Amino acid sequence: MTGYSPPSNLSNPLATIEQLSTSTSQLDGIPADLELSVRFVGARLTQAAGILLRLPQDTVAQAIVIFYRFWIGAGGGSLKDHDAKDVSAAALYMMAKLSPYPQTPRNVLNVYSYLLSDSSNLLSPADSKTRDPEAYYLSEGTYYSQRTQLFQTERKLAFAMGLQTHVALPYTIAINYLQALDTFGQPKSNALAQRTFAHLNTALLSPQMLYLTHQPPALATAAIYLAARELDIKLPDDNWWEAFDTDREELGFLVVGMRSVEGFAVSEKEKWGRRSVPLTVEAIDAELEARRMLENGE
Amino acid sequence: MEPCLTMPYEISSQAWSERSTPPMQNINKMRAQRKPLEFNSDGHSRFQGCSSIRDYEILGKLGEGTFGEVHKARSRKDGYVVALKKILMHNEKDGFPITALREIKLLKMLSHINILKLSEMAIERSKGEGKKKAVMYMVTPYMDHDLSGLLENPHVQFTEPQIKCYMLQLLEGVRYLHENKILHRDMKAANLLINNQGILQIADFGLARHYDEQPPKPGKGGGEARRDYTTLVVTRWYRPPELLLQLRRYTTAIDMWGVGCVFGEMFKGKPILAGNSDLHQIQIIFDLVGSPTEQNMPGWSTLPGCENVKSFKPRTGTLAQTFREQGSSAISLLGELLKLDWRKRINAIDALQHPYFRTDPLPAKPGQLPQFEDSHELDRRKFRGQKAALPPAPAGGTVGTGPNGEWIGPSSRSTGPWQSNSFRPGGSGPWHGHASATGSYPANQGTSESRIPHIGRGHVPNQANHRPAWARNGENARQSSTFHNRESDLGSHYGRHAQHSRTDPSISSAGRGDSYVPNYSDDNDGSRLRLEGTRREERYDRAHYSYDRREKLSRPAGRTRSKSPGVERSRDRVRERERDLYRR
Repeated sequence: MTGYSPPSNLSNPLATIEQLSTSTSQLDGIPADLELSVRFVGARLTQAAGILLRLPQDTVAQAIVIFYRFWIGAGGGSLKDHDAKDVSAAALYMMAKLSPYPQTPRNVLNVYSYLLSDSSNLLSPADSKTRDPEAYYLSEGTYYSQRTQLFQTERKLAFAMGLQTHVALPYTIAINYLQALDTFGQPKSNALAQRTFAHLNTALLSPQMLYLTHQPPALATAAIYLAARELDIKLPDDNWWEAFDTDREELGFLVVGMRSVEGFAVSEKEKWGRRSVPLTVEAIDAELEARRMLENGE
Repeated sequence: MEPCLTMPYEISSQAWSERSTPPMQNINKMRAQRKPLEFNSDGHSRFQGCSSIRDYEILGKLGEGTFGEVHKARSRKDGYVVALKKILMHNEKDGFPITALREIKLLKMLSHINILKLSEMAIERSKGEGKKKAVMYMVTPYMDHDLSGLLENPHVQFTEPQIKCYMLQLLEGVRYLHENKILHRDMKAANLLINNQGILQIADFGLARHYDEQPPKPGKGGGEARRDYTTLVVTRWYRPPELLLQLRRYTTAIDMWGVGCVFGEMFKGKPILAGNSDLHQIQIIFDLVGSPTEQNMPGWSTLPGCENVKSFKPRTGTLAQTFREQGSSAISLLGELLKLDWRKRINAIDALQHPYFRTDPLPAKPGQLPQFEDSHELDRRKFRGQKAALPPAPAGGTVGTGPNGEWIGPSSRSTGPWQSNSFRPGGSGPWHGHASATGSYPANQGTSESRIPHIGRGHVPNQANHRPAWARNGENARQSSTFHNRESDLGSHYGRHAQHSRTDPSISSAGRGDSYVPNYSDDNDGSRLRLEGTRREERYDRAHYSYDRREKLSRPAGRTRSKSPGVERSRDRVRERERDLYRR
C-alpha cells in the first residue's frame, strides 16, 4: 500500500550514444548525409501533413519524435527496407489515433498523396507547378493498397518502439517556466511565448534530433533562453536554468543546436536544388546508383 | 540578457566560462543528485524496443480469451516468472487496435504497488520476413490468483481481516488511478490479481481511458463530469445504475460501484448482482439498494433509461438484511459504495478513511495472509461442462486480455537493452509454429500444478448438464458466449444463474423481492441465455471465450479467422462497428 509514484509523463526515454552513432540505414550502406536529408524531409513532411489534417501541434510533434525513433539504433528501421514517406504517415496516423482527434486512413492518405505530388511545393520548388488535381487523386484501388501499407508500417513502427507511444513534450512545460520566471504581464510577453514555441517547433526538425537527446525541461529552458535573448527581454540574473533541471553545458548545447537548424535547412536546399529528396526505398536506391556513377565518372 | 552574451548564438565553452559559475564541486554535486530520467531505477535504458519471445521459457497456459491467450513463462535472462498476454490482431479496419495502444500506454505510465505492472513487450517473429505477422505479448509479473478464482475455491474462506486488507489495497489502487485521472471502467473480481504475498493488483486496462475532469476530492464523491463518454463499458454485473440508465457524463464513481460489488462478493463468495440482462441487472440493483427517487438519485428520471424502461416498482432495498452478518460498519461502507446517487457515492480517498478499517477486527497486513494454491481460470475450469451462464463482459478489449481478468500472470521484469533486440527479422524462436491464436479460451491447462477440486460450492450439479454450455445450447451457444469468461470460472457453480434462464425480460423485470440472490435450481434449458439481438449483446460475444472454444474444437487448429464461417464474419462486422464506439 505504499510505493506511490506519479506517472512519468513529463520525461522521455532518450536515445543512447550507441543508438545515435549507428543506425540500421548506415549499416546498410546509406551515407550519413543522405540519411540526414531524408530524416529532415520526413520530419517536414510529417509537420506539413499534420497541418493539413488540422491536428494540434502536440500531436504532430509526437509523430515527428516517433518518426525519428524508428530510424535510430542498430535495431531500428532501415531506409533500405522502409519508405520514409510511409513511416511518416504511419507515425502521424498512430499518434492521431491516440489523440482526441483521430484521423481516418483515407484522410491521412489523401493528404500524403497531395503532399507527395508535383502539385505540392513541399518537396520541390514552387515554380513549374502542375496544379492538377488529377495528379493526387487517390483511386479506390490505390487507396486500399496504400491503406494496407499504412497498417503494416504502423505495426512495424509500434514494434520498433516496444509499443512505447508516450512522448513527453516541452510546450506546456515552457509555459509553466515562463510563468515561473514572471514574464507574463511584462511587455512583449506574448511575443516571448510565441518565439519560445517557434524555437521548440524548429528544434523538432533538428538533424541532431534534439527531442531524442534531451528531456523536455531542458528543451523548454533553452527555447526560452534563446527567445528572450532575441527579443531582448531580461530574465533573472542568476543561473535560473538550473532551477529547471538544466545545467549550463546542456543549455549551451541546445541553444547552438536550435540555432543551427536554419543553416542546415539552407544548405539542404542548396544541396538538393530542384531534385527531390528520396522518400522511398526505390528512390533511395536510384540516388545511391546515381552517386556511384558520379563517383566513377560514368 | 547579459553583455557578454550579446553574440548569443556562438556559445563557446569559453563564453560560458566567462559567466560566474558555481564551484565545480557544486555542479558535480548537483549532477549527482539529478535523477537521470532516461534510465529506470534498475539501470536499464527506458528507450528500448520489444524483447523476443525467445527470452522466455513457456511454462504453460493460464488462460485463453477471444483476444488472446495468457501463458506462464520464465525469463531466460533473470529467471523471473511472468505472465505473457498475447495481443491478437484481427483484421482491423483501423490498423493497430486503439485499445491495445491505450492499454499499453497507460500501463507504461502507471507505477503503483496495487496496479499490475507492464514489465515489457515481447515479440514473436516468424521465419520469412513479412510473411507472417508478428505476434505481440504483454509481459507482466506473475500473480498466483485472481480474486474471482480465489473466491471460487471452496477451500478458501476469507476472514474479515483479510477482506479488509484486500479492500484497503483495492482502494489504494483505485485512488491512485483516479488521482491520475484514469477511469478503469472494468472493475470486477476477475480483474483483481492476488499473489501469495498477499498483494492485490488491479489488472486489465483494456477499457481504461483518460478522464477529462478533475480528480475526486475528499468529501466530494466523484464530482461532476462535463463531457460524454461511451456507456458501453463495465461488465454487467459490476455496472453501476447510472450507466445502466445511460448516463454519458459519468465520473470516477462508476469504478467505485464496482469496488462495492467486489466488496460484497468477498463476503458472499460469489457476485452479488448477477443480472442476466441489462434490465434484469438494474432490477436486482434496485431490489438490493432500493428504487430510485429524486432524493436518493437526483436527476435519474431525466436519464434515457434502461432499454427504454424508465419506471420501476418502488421498493426499499434489502442491503442491511442481506449483509446483516457482516456488521454495521461493513454495511455502512457497502452502502456508501453502492449508493445510487453517483455524485454522493463515496470516493476512494474517503473510503480509505471509513471507520470500517478502524474497527475490530483490524485489517491484516498483506504478509500475514495465508497462502493458497494457485487459482487460475484454467484450474477452475476443470468442470467446465457444468459451467453456467457467463458473465457479460464489456465490449472493449481488443487487447490481449480482453475484458476478463484472467490476465493472471507472471512476473518479471526483464528487459534487455534496446539495442540488443534486433528489430530485424531473425530466426524463429521456440514458439515458432506455435498454434496461431485462434482467440479461444483454453480449455486445458498447461500447468500441472496442483489443482484443487472444484466442486461447486454447495450445490449438486445436474449431471445432464455436464456438457459444456455450448454443446447444450446448440445454436444458442453463440449467445451464451456473451458471458464473460469469469463465468467459466463459475463452472462449478452451475445453476447459479439458473434463475436467469428466463427468456422474457419482462419476467425478470417483474420485481422479485430477493432476486439478487440467485436460486440454484437446475437449468437445462437452452434458452436460459436469452437471445438478445441488441448490439450490446453482440458485443459481449467478443469477450467470451466459450464460443471461441467451440469454434476451436470444431475446426482444425491453425485455421485463420478469415476462413471462419459466414456467421462469424458478420460478427466481425458488428465487431468493427462496435469498436468505433470504443474509440472515445
